Amino acid sequence: MLRKLEDLKTIVANEPVKKLVLAPAHDQDSLGAVIKAASDGVVTPVLIGDTDGIRQIAEENGFDISGLNIIHEPGIEASVELAVKMVSRREAEILMKGKVGTSTLLKCVLNKEWGLRTGKLLSHFALFEVETYHKLIAVTDVAMNIAPNLQEKIAIINNSISCMHRLGIMNPKVAVLGAVEMVNESMEATLDAALLSKMNQRDQIKGCIIDGPLAFDNAVSIVSAKHKGIKSEVAGDTDLLLMPDIEVGNVLYKSLVFFAKAKVASVILGAAAPIVLTSRSDSEQAKYDSILLASAASKK
Amino acid sequence: MITRLTQLAEFVKSSGRRYRIAIAWAQDSNSIGAVYKGVCEGFLEAALIGRKPEIIKVCEKENIDYSGLNIIESATDYEACRKAVDMTRSGDADIVMKGLVGTDRFLKAVMDKESGLMEPGAILSYVCAIDVPAYKKLLFITDPAVIPFPDLDQKIAMTRYAIDMARRFGISKPRIALIGATEKISRHFQSSLDYSVMCKMAERGQLPDCIMDGPVDIFLACDPKSPEIKGVRTVLEGDADILVFPSIESCNPFYKGLMLFAGAELAGLICGTVKPVVLMSRNESLLSKYYCMALACMMTKGSKN
Repeated sequence: MLRKLEDLKTIVANEPVKKLVLAPAHDQDSLGAVIKAASDGVVTPVLIGDTDGIRQIAEENGFDISGLNIIHEPGIEASVELAVKMVSRREAEILMKGKVGTSTLLKCVLNKEWGLRTGKLLSHFALFEVETYHKLIAVTDVAMNIAPNLQEKIAIINNSISCMHRLGIMNPKVAVLGAVEMVNESMEATLDAALLSKMNQRDQIKGCIIDGPLAFDNAVSIVSAKHKGIKSEVAGDTDLLLMPDIEVGNVLYKSLVFFAKAKVASVILGAAAPIVLTSRSDSEQAKYDSILLASAASKK
Repeated sequence: MITRLTQLAEFVKSSGRRYRIAIAWAQDSNSIGAVYKGVCEGFLEAALIGRKPEIIKVCEKENIDYSGLNIIESATDYEACRKAVDMTRSGDADIVMKGLVGTDRFLKAVMDKESGLMEPGAILSYVCAIDVPAYKKLLFITDPAVIPFPDLDQKIAMTRYAIDMARRFGISKPRIALIGATEKISRHFQSSLDYSVMCKMAERGQLPDCIMDGPVDIFLACDPKSPEIKGVRTVLEGDADILVFPSIESCNPFYKGLMLFAGAELAGLICGTVKPVVLMSRNESLLSKYYCMALACMMTKGSKN
């Protein structure tokens, strides 16, 4: 059982080292985490960007970039295009966003000719290490899909499930989150939750155990679930929390980080390879852990 | 537990109670014939409301001794309905039954907000207990007659009525199959979506105690071998007590098919009213009509069960 994000290292250690391509790599915010991950043997980086810029950042921060594969491409969009094409040709297993806007990166990822489309929905997957929970807990989708409908929720679950299988969580317990654990016709999320549960029972969503609606407390606390008299395999032992929408997801994400001092790793799933798409406000540790997660989740 | 309709009739007969039934627009050999059997067996007391001379004529033609029947004169069919409903409402009758009058006119009197028999805010529906020789126990089905395309709330109401009826038969935790064409969830079948919601409600204790699954087809519902053959995990174990159908058009042919081809008999009742309302189709056998009466007696409040 994975208890700490660091435990992902055991998965990574048992597999060939994956190649991560960072673009544009002349980026103060991501370069440090990539170089640390490289020196720990978590990934082999390819840095695409303005070589002078990369060197300057390395020098200013004392990063050792000797021996790293650096490709000179000063154009922002051109560097991303090059990175995406490398992943597309399977010359690298992980794509990481550097000094570029998310929309530009996604535009390249979704390019019909040379992008990383798989026909699946892209979704955000966050894996939390919370001191007060007995194992790692995944949360989706807190950043990508705004108000997923039922079909999109299915796609988001499926993306997460295959990632969790890669992480060795073979039959993850999925809690479909609501404000209450009862079905309420005026709360769309509770109706979708009931449908997702039944589709899971009918093997229309496989490889996991789904229950919902569950309120946050009974999803993560067996005491709370028992108190409410909920009979559920998932309640109190959730591996994955499915959010009803981005507002709930984003607030939960941030409250875990800011109030519960949780550690978090996150990736974008649904493309041909995991994408590390951290934001400037993420800590150095979160960026490193995201690279670690992407490495564990990717296939060589 | 009552598992056959013959037991239902015996049960009512043995209650030692005489149930008073008011028949609206009663000059109808079908209705009088069905009630008369109950009168002779001692568990019914009938008030026949309609054109007195015609009622007497029918009785004479059918060799029915009408000396013990309470015949009440009424000039029009709707007036007869009103009178029958009034009697039931006021407590002069326990059960009201439709005679020769059209169903819509009869139900209009039953459903009248001021003077009818509706439970406040209730949804009107229909539940049938069918006795199919090929099945080991009674099957309760809903709704073959009243709600054409039930929405979620109506399906829940139908289910509650069926549970209530099954309990009267001694089934404390009925197995409920929500019937569809397949067991898969598909947005193209609204019923499959509603059923998923209902299953979760049952799981969360939002419905009376029951064992529920759906969508399932009739095989998964009633054939113990089917879950294994189909590879579907279901708590029903092919042992359903109640079948909830997605529409009249599926439920009605189901029971009629069973009656025509499989020798089934039924007992059915309108649900959602404060007192039992009997509404029978002319196609039903005399025996089924008799069972309908017995069911109405059993569902009368204050009956032992």
